[in-house]
Amino acid sequence: MSTKREIIQPKNANLNVSKNFNLPHSPGVRAGGFIFLSGMVSIDAATGERAMGTVASETRQILSNMAHMLESAGSAMNKVVKVNVLLYDMLEWDNMNRVYREFFPVDPPARTTCGVQLAGGLKVEIECIALA
Amino acid sequence: MTRDIIHAPAAGLDFRKLYGHQQSVAIRANGLIFVSGMVAVDPETGERLHGSVTSEAHRIFQNLKLILESAGSSLAQIVQVHAFIYDRIEYDVLNRVYEKYFVAQPPARTVWSVKIESGFKVQLDAVAVAQ
Repeated sequence: MSTKREIIQPKNANLNVSKNFNLPHSPGVRAGGFIFLSGMVSIDAATGERAMGTVASETRQILSNMAHMLESAGSAMNKVVKVNVLLYDMLEWDNMNRVYREFFPVDPPARTTCGVQLAGGLKVEIECIALA
Repeated sequence: MTRDIIHAPAAGLDFRKLYGHQQSVAIRANGLIFVSGMVAVDPETGERLHGSVTSEAHRIFQNLKLILESAGSSLAQIVQVHAFIYDRIEYDVLNRVYEKYFVAQPPARTVWSVKIESGFKVQLDAVAVAQ
């Protein structure tokens, strides 16, 4: 079985964190009928800078950028099958969840949420796998 | 649709047999290979090679290479990596090793700073294209 492996880039170059922060990953990869996105942190879509804020504001920014990333690759939020949410403190779980539900109002994807250390004072990081 | 078990290509990578981990080394399904979290062990003996983030990461990539190549894939065919490190402060240390193995078109990746089994500093899992 031959499967292609294609790199995904956001149409808005400000959201290409891999390139803009010189990190050794790609924004996303399409393979086997799926799109795998790298973990996304809160980035201001207008400037490309980190947008530190509350768990709610960071979650909203990330999921808004995630929609753009998926749409750039011909996919969409309603095609997401699995999400991993990394939170700096599980005490804030509900603050993430309240914003999260705005983006996945019906039949939400499978999801795991973990409390981990995040870099640079950021509070949320989110990655996903979606149907291509 | 089939679901094929990928067996350990070397005795030291069979964590199920050596350490009782109830997991397969990897699974091939629908054109993709899903590799279990890999840590720094000697591929022949299974001895745990605790070291620095740098030494552990190099060993893990060598082990992943063995597994993927035994299954007809390769490091270059990896599409997604979860990189688990014991402390976020070593993020850049990991990156300096990591970028040696993915010179162009690196996989999607998320770094998780978590507790890792047996006191290891790094663990990597991967999804790769099977071919």
